[in-house]
Amino acid sequence: MNQYLYDGTADGLLSAIAWILEEEPDPEKVMLRERMDTLFEEGFTIGTDATLAESLFFRLKQFAPDAAHTLYSFMLAEKEGMETSLLHYVSLAFKHGDQVKGYLTHPAVRDIVYIAKKAGRELHRMKGLLRFEKLRDGAYLAKMAPDYNIIHPLADYFSRRLRAQHWFIYDVKRRTAVRWNNGSLQFGTIEQFTTPAFSEDEKKVQALWQAFFKTIAIPERKNPRLQKSNMPMKYWKYLVEKQGE
Amino acid sequence: MDTFAKLQILSGAARYDVSCASSGSKREAPSCGTGNTSSSGICHSWADDGRCISLLKILLSNDCIYDCAYCVNRSTNPMERASFTAREVIEITLDFYRRNYIEGLFLSSAVMQSPDYTMESMVRVAEALRTEEQFGGYIHLKIIPGCSSELVRKAGLYADRISVNIELPSQASLQRLAPQKHKNAILEPMALIGREISTSLVERKVSRRAPQFAPAGQSTQMIIGASPENDFQILRLSQGLYKKMNLKRVYYSAYVPVTADNRLPVLASPPLLREHRLYQADWLLRFYGFSAEEILSEDAPHLDESFDPKTAWALRHPEFFPVEINRADFATLLRVPGIGVLSAKRIIAARRFSLITYEGMKKIGVVLKRAKYFITCSGRSFEKPDQPPALIRQQLLLSENREALVSAPSKQLVLPGFFA
Repeated sequence: MNQYLYDGTADGLLSAIAWILEEEPDPEKVMLRERMDTLFEEGFTIGTDATLAESLFFRLKQFAPDAAHTLYSFMLAEKEGMETSLLHYVSLAFKHGDQVKGYLTHPAVRDIVYIAKKAGRELHRMKGLLRFEKLRDGAYLAKMAPDYNIIHPLADYFSRRLRAQHWFIYDVKRRTAVRWNNGSLQFGTIEQFTTPAFSEDEKKVQALWQAFFKTIAIPERKNPRLQKSNMPMKYWKYLVEKQGE
Repeated sequence: MDTFAKLQILSGAARYDVSCASSGSKREAPSCGTGNTSSSGICHSWADDGRCISLLKILLSNDCIYDCAYCVNRSTNPMERASFTAREVIEITLDFYRRNYIEGLFLSSAVMQSPDYTMESMVRVAEALRTEEQFGGYIHLKIIPGCSSELVRKAGLYADRISVNIELPSQASLQRLAPQKHKNAILEPMALIGREISTSLVERKVSRRAPQFAPAGQSTQMIIGASPENDFQILRLSQGLYKKMNLKRVYYSAYVPVTADNRLPVLASPPLLREHRLYQADWLLRFYGFSAEEILSEDAPHLDESFDPKTAWALRHPEFFPVEINRADFATLLRVPGIGVLSAKRIIAARRFSLITYEGMKKIGVVLKRAKYFITCSGRSFEKPDQPPALIRQQLLLSENREALVSAPSKQLVLPGFFA
């Protein structure tokens, strides 16, 4: 069984997969791992080529848009140690097209689809659970700490929704941030974060929301278990309505 | 009265309205405005009763001239009355929307002065949001029975979804508990909305610029357990509404006693399990190809409390089973207890690659707890074949009870806004 190594970056991973699909007669018999530079490491290292990586993604998108979407969601999870599964998945996707997602009895397909689903689910959840706060200069700021690196698609989503607004989203866990202003998105990293001053009416609007949140529940039907299963507690930290609980 | 106090009163009065769906509409954000809609719908929070919050659900006013026995806002109920101004509703909606608290606005109202006056005030809020504020988010407007058809048409042009509440499942109950509401005043606008929606769909096929009319469709709601109708009557009513009026959703709300009235039953707690079973049966009507007459009959007009309606149907029809997983078509798979739309699709997708075994079923994520009594995989059955239904019944009950002892599953309904 042939073994290959790559440099650990997303581009490296995709270009390695592209290279293997091109050169190997049977990619499903091949292993791919991140290079650790240990003494007895075996395997041939494939160089990183960003254009190769990009062209692989676009070819897959043309051939099997659903499978490409799964690949994209999987990459958001930044999962380590699943490179071989991903290689086999992409290889099968080029063989079977979008029908590959039904091949859940194949271990590689199942693992990749499972992780991609989890990342996709968190992205959908954050579209609802993200909370913006108004700053003194009229811009809005949202903080979050998601399990997966979803800031890119999330920013894309809000750029279509809150178009006329000037806003920031800050990922506290990864220290990455995005800014939307005058029709363009800018991504960056923040080393030291200081919370800016809020606008004067911010506390008032938050109090309105907290009051609404309390009264909209029917007291006779109280069900904290259901609430927690729909809205896990790990997200409560940045929810205005769940402060002080 | 300040906005804060009004919000407390008017959201508390709106909480018995069940619908919170924000799905089914695809609206782009205006270039200099705020908000779009997402066709899958988005939940923004979950309240202490576990129900999702996706819309700012409020009444414009709770100052009602009607005296419906079941309603918290009935005119003879001594409670604090309040009314929002249009401006206040607009400000709160936008303030909440910009902070991503909500998908949009759900606006209902008690009947102030007259149905026309009330409906006009509500439509004015929606109109101002769309035209003055360039608001592109979701709007759900309640239609006040008895208002003019002109106002219904206007409401449909600004809102994503509109709904007329049927309130009670029969004319007799309506007369007894809500004497000022009439069946025709409820059904006429429903039929009108149904016609307008289909006209607009046809026009939009011709020209994409034709105005949308309630693109997320219409829904309704009825109260369960405040009047003597049985489940069979209720399901047949829903079936008629889906087929004849083209409704997107019928919501059922377990009766919560909010006012004392000797025309109403006295209940220890709201009939949540009955409500849950009705929703399950409703799903069978809409997504599983069942008819109300298959689920219930005149002789057995009540849904089984201990089994979901599909399992109950399967136990009554042993001749239909076992179903062979590797050959059965989609419609047949859907009839197996425990196999839903998702599982049936997965089974069909996986069959393209190989025969499905027992282990394969687990791998693709099909829950076998109930299904295992009703299926074979390539001729192999999981349980002893040809067990009499009475025995299966017992085993199912046993496995349910064992789980109940361990985890006490919640009988409360989740309102899945995604499918609305």
